[in-house]
Amino acid sequence: MNNLKVTNAAEVEDVVRAAIASEQPLDIIGHGSKRQIGQLTTTNAVLDLSALNAVISYEPNELIITVQAGAPLADLLSLIDSKSQQFAFEPMDTGPLLGLPGRGTIGGMIAVGLAGPRRIRAGGVRDHLLGAHAVSGFGESFKTGGKVVKNVTGYDLCKLLAGSWGTLAVMTEVTLKVMPRPESERSLVLRGLDDLKANRAMTAALGSPFDVSGAAHLPASSLRPDVDGLSDIGSPREAVTVIRLEGITASVTHRAASLAKQLSPFGPVDIIADDASARFWSAARDVLPFAANGPLGAWPVWRIVCPPVSGAAIGQALTRPTGGEVIYDWGGGLIWAALPPQPDASAGLVRQQVEAAGGHATLLRAWDEMRHAVDVFHPQPAGVAALEERVRVSFDPKSIFNRGRMRRSVAS
Amino acid sequence: MAIMMPEADQAVLARRDQIVAALRAIVPGEGVIDSAAEMLPYESDGLMAYRQPPMVVVLPETTAQVAKVLKYCHEQGIKVVPRGSGTSLSGGALPLADGVLLGLGKFKRIREIDFDNRVVVTEPGVTNLAISQAVAHAGFYYAPDPSSQIACSIGGNVAENSGGVHCLKYGMTTNNVLGCEIVLINGEVLRIGGKCAENAGYDLMGLITGSEGLLGVVTEVTVRILQKPETARALMVGFSEVEAAGECVARIIGAGIIPGGMEMMDKPAIHAAEAFVHAGYPLDVEALLIIELDGPGVEVDELIGRVEAIANGCGSTTCRISTSEAERNLFWAGRKAAFPAVGRISPDYLCMDGTIPRGALPKALARIRELSEKYQLGCANVFHAGDGNLHPLILYDANKPGEMERAEAFGADILRCCVELGGVLTGEHGVGIEKRDLMPDMFTEIDLNQQQRVKCAFDSQGLLNPGKVFPTLHRCAELGRMHVHGGRLAFPDLPRF
Repeated sequence: MNNLKVTNAAEVEDVVRAAIASEQPLDIIGHGSKRQIGQLTTTNAVLDLSALNAVISYEPNELIITVQAGAPLADLLSLIDSKSQQFAFEPMDTGPLLGLPGRGTIGGMIAVGLAGPRRIRAGGVRDHLLGAHAVSGFGESFKTGGKVVKNVTGYDLCKLLAGSWGTLAVMTEVTLKVMPRPESERSLVLRGLDDLKANRAMTAALGSPFDVSGAAHLPASSLRPDVDGLSDIGSPREAVTVIRLEGITASVTHRAASLAKQLSPFGPVDIIADDASARFWSAARDVLPFAANGPLGAWPVWRIVCPPVSGAAIGQALTRPTGGEVIYDWGGGLIWAALPPQPDASAGLVRQQVEAAGGHATLLRAWDEMRHAVDVFHPQPAGVAALEERVRVSFDPKSIFNRGRMRRSVAS
Repeated sequence: MAIMMPEADQAVLARRDQIVAALRAIVPGEGVIDSAAEMLPYESDGLMAYRQPPMVVVLPETTAQVAKVLKYCHEQGIKVVPRGSGTSLSGGALPLADGVLLGLGKFKRIREIDFDNRVVVTEPGVTNLAISQAVAHAGFYYAPDPSSQIACSIGGNVAENSGGVHCLKYGMTTNNVLGCEIVLINGEVLRIGGKCAENAGYDLMGLITGSEGLLGVVTEVTVRILQKPETARALMVGFSEVEAAGECVARIIGAGIIPGGMEMMDKPAIHAAEAFVHAGYPLDVEALLIIELDGPGVEVDELIGRVEAIANGCGSTTCRISTSEAERNLFWAGRKAAFPAVGRISPDYLCMDGTIPRGALPKALARIRELSEKYQLGCANVFHAGDGNLHPLILYDANKPGEMERAEAFGADILRCCVELGGVLTGEHGVGIEKRDLMPDMFTEIDLNQQQRVKCAFDSQGLLNPGKVFPTLHRCAELGRMHVHGGRLAFPDLPRF
């Protein structure tokens, strides 16, 4: 494996141009923390951006931060936290799920676009990427977007870069929107609801005027005492449905009381505050019950995005025949499903159920054989797939970047 | 016309009768308009300084008709300009002499309201405000609120990625749309996204939003709806210096407060607005801030107190806090009427739309004052202060020879200044034709080529809305050509793989 570690954008251009000249595909990595996700690729050269890690500027009052793509995410989270700010989309740490803790860069975070529980209120990674400098598969540095929070100048190529898994261009510098960190948080906890009732409770909460910033349901089986952040709010005997409220203390207290009253038909409501609440949401965000070092560590994990009210029905259709487990986030609109290992990771069942509801499913954790046998990313209808391929080619005509990572049919 | 549009294709114009007949075979009855008198209302959009009658107007009613019209135009090499309500302020819907103007005004039905999933599925000709009205009985609304919301269509909002005074807190169109049905220029109908929080694959919805009608024609939109905040109150704060008002905005954000709206007006704008609507604006201040807090009553009350303290600390000379809905609406009345108010004091005005880093506001206003002297034209400024989006209104009289040209040059200089200060050419009105020729001030040729390559993935013949957004049109074959750079190889080991 040839590892090309670059230290500036000009070197990225040089590497890409050389790769184009020799038609040599490149795996684009930061810390390489998410290389286990996606179709198997056969590239033997790595473009390593981890040394491109400077903070270019951070202006809390402008609500923006500009950094090089290889900057460690954890460092940036501490930096903006020191100014009482945060990435409102609550980026997921895939470390526990994949067994690679403590790694990950901002570029990787954007490339995979995995937002956490607050996505339902604050939007995803794509909503907070304001601008980028990147090198295309033509070997040219281009810029898109800007360094201000409001901008409609030209096509919004940032939206394409976020969630493109490094298949369009090599980001070298990015500008993200940061938001104030809420002063306090409270979470309402309902216990013992089955999936369908929990889905209804979350729908009621999200349809209320109380500005809910998280709505998750963890069936009883996930509440194992060994899972950080979960052991103190429930027991393995009772599922929990948790609704988060954030903001200034007076408001959160008021809303918690009002929402508890509204949800009382679903049963008694407990309220957990600040640290306990934060620990729960961190566990939900990173899907700790399915962690690599836990009892389900060997099971493939699907990430399913669907219309929120169809969540529970999909979850039950997946767990009943397989004996698998699910966790619901985004009020039912995001399902994490860990299913007992099968050669195809139960892809047929998953895709059939999810498609019927108008959703899509990504096989986020799987062993190499499964990644070889299954479409990791949800197959698109032919017309959309063809358009996506034309868009991809418009950035990278020789398929230099992460060749075959997103689509099995183009794997070399 | 100062802005050159693509030269009309005489061969297409020569076939006009034949084209009209073919379009009539697709869209029957009154759906095809070809008489000069009846096409008059379509000659321009909200950028009224520019007018051009189209070759023909087509008003389809179904997706199938849109697909057939586009397929026909694609096969015949005919240009197409899509149009919603025609409220664009950047000339995005300006017709072409040899182009079909494709109006989506008959797509007026809301197809589905789904409160449980908190989405509305609607046809593109429905107005922005009509969506909010359709869900208001259940306490919901659609958050983006461009000032033209009573007239502008949701399809046009998607094309322009429209904003509004509340977008600092609630986002622009792109943050509030989930999916669409789009017809490509070859007549292919695709569904992108849906009721899910995010799309599968590349974020094509994000790309389409704000693409100014150059990528496809949207025939259905799925938007997310929110519960209305329990209450809203506003502060009206005056400052004797613009700098102090700018500092106040920075400190509010710095204190972790994101108001529902935060607007600034300069002295000329304050005076024009006050004379028009008598909102009770102080006339002896240099800058006025209107800051609205929304949410639960207890939250709003507390934040009002915090913002008031910050304003006092920044040396505000007046501070009024609304105590009723009527008073809150009165505070807003002047700001919302700022454009027509300026229209009363000047025969014509140009509304600009740049964004700057908020901290650069005093510099930008100083520069605008200098330019006002230089061009001998007045300028009133309204400003979405929370997100740095500046709307200078340049006052001129089109009947005086040379004034419009001077006003345009003044406006172009303001936008160049925005870019120099680290900002961008347009915050919410779009590039259209208005800022098209300024694009090279913000983007390099490489940047623009990459955008045009994406355009080629949708429309390889460049038939959809040509002449908008891009100052120079390249052929797709030329853009797709790979120039392998020999040059120095900093990584001589690379070819050895």
